[in-house]
Amino acid sequence: MLVLGIETSCDETAAALVADGRTVLSSAISTQLDLLKKYGGVVPEIAARRHTELIGYVIREALDTAARQLDNVEAVAVTSRPGLVGCLMVGVAAAKAISYVKDLPLIGVHHIEGHISANLLSHAGLPFPHVCLTVSGGHNMLLYVPAPGKYEVLGATLDDAAGEAFDKVAKFLGLDFPGGPVIDKLSRQGNPKAFKFPRPMIGTKSFDFSFSGLKTAVVNRFKDRLARGEALPLADIAASFQEAVVDVLVAKTVRAATEKGVAVVSVTGGVSANSRLRQRFSEACKKQGIRVFFPALSLCTDNAAMIAAAGYARMVQGERSDLRLNVFPNAPLGGRA
Amino acid sequence: MIVLGIDTSGYVNAVGVVDGDRVLADDIFPAQTDSLEQIVANIDTTLKKVGLPLARIDGFGVGLGPGSWTGIRVGVTVGKILAFSSKKPVCGVPTLEALAYSARGEAPQVCSVIAVGVGDAVYAGLYSPERDGVKRLGDYYIGDIKGLSTLITKPAVVVGAEAKKYTPLLWPASGMALKAVATLPSGAAVASLAGIRLARGESDDALSLAPLYLKESTARVFVNRYKKEQG
Repeated sequence: MLVLGIETSCDETAAALVADGRTVLSSAISTQLDLLKKYGGVVPEIAARRHTELIGYVIREALDTAARQLDNVEAVAVTSRPGLVGCLMVGVAAAKAISYVKDLPLIGVHHIEGHISANLLSHAGLPFPHVCLTVSGGHNMLLYVPAPGKYEVLGATLDDAAGEAFDKVAKFLGLDFPGGPVIDKLSRQGNPKAFKFPRPMIGTKSFDFSFSGLKTAVVNRFKDRLARGEALPLADIAASFQEAVVDVLVAKTVRAATEKGVAVVSVTGGVSANSRLRQRFSEACKKQGIRVFFPALSLCTDNAAMIAAAGYARMVQGERSDLRLNVFPNAPLGGRA
Repeated sequence: MIVLGIDTSGYVNAVGVVDGDRVLADDIFPAQTDSLEQIVANIDTTLKKVGLPLARIDGFGVGLGPGSWTGIRVGVTVGKILAFSSKKPVCGVPTLEALAYSARGEAPQVCSVIAVGVGDAVYAGLYSPERDGVKRLGDYYIGDIKGLSTLITKPAVVVGAEAKKYTPLLWPASGMALKAVATLPSGAAVASLAGIRLARGESDDALSLAPLYLKESTARVFVNRYKKEQG
């Protein structure tokens, strides 16, 4: 089944063609990085306007790159929840119009379910059950995944997502947006043991996370020196901060896998592109006899291929949305479209 | 030529179908703040009512706004993707122009008015009826309703959902005979104006079709003001 995926939940306008929920034929993404840099983050109204301008071009590019026509498409999957409401609406409006004209089945997809599904595209044989850690600037969850489309939420962040902490620390240090890739790169020249930052909730029994305090600890430690105009050891700060985040993410995920008795871990979302996180996960999992999977870098951040994959898994189970599909800015994972 | 017109700018979903000069349907569906949930189903309802499959539609007309920002994004996205998916032409029609077209026989000038949603601020356009549609006189107007009165130079009809509220505010200052026609956006008017352009062989590029907001987002206004202050 050839599925057209559409994703507009935040600042990326994306469309993709995916065959049978596994093979990515194309994945077109237009990022709003120019706007993010200009405004220091996502401005919902401006992002929604940009989506409206770009959506048609991005869909056409997905078709052209895959050398397919709309007539070849067999279903449409679109992010319908959660996200910025005005942004989500653009993707859903486009998906409905295509579904109506071409008389195609339509499925609304939960954005995080898309992220969880990203590893199905990079690793055709990803085993179930597994434990999935999915982390970006907007979400931070640990899940038990018994089968495609089935989840048990083990824990989530109580405040900031890890990616959000990366962004905020980068902003404090005067680094570029988004903070994740910048801190990753800078950390390679730094000493991860230079500063001792807290590892929030690393020892608690719960699988929940908290990164707001860690960010504040970095700020409190250096704000006076920054105010005095002193040059800060940026690489050492970045590496030490990153190490604290990675320690918590790895420890909790490995413990979840052990407690759930599974030998497979899947790490997805924008933060799963972090090189230190990948390295440390690989080392820790090897020690415990756990196999760990990461998506291709292009599938870590927001994209529509993962939405097509998640939509396919739902459609195989017989789920469909109708033409009255609506958007939900806040929606728990696991609900129906 | 059969044209389907939609307009979702005014907190209703307007869907109309015209065949040349003949109006086959001019439906208004309730949408409150959410055009998205119902619009495609509304289109289907109207087409079934007039007994035409989507494949019989020769082209699309889309109300571009101004009006609800969310509403016009939904309408324009649906319109452009309907056209792209079916490989049929599309014409964007300013909602103010479609309103003027609805009342073109009423007076020498037609003043279309849409509420901005802040105090008595309006989006407006002044039109003169033509043999083929309507012609806009001067620029669009965005501001307090009273400031509009100086622009009206002939007996006019004030048209829009809130025309009856605005007309008494305009009347004393303009010194012109004014008449109010309260009407919601019309899918048939949008379809008619699109049909006139399509018949001339004109259409808009579907993929680049964009709403007519007439106002920048608040964030951009602040950034621009800040930049100006910083020189």
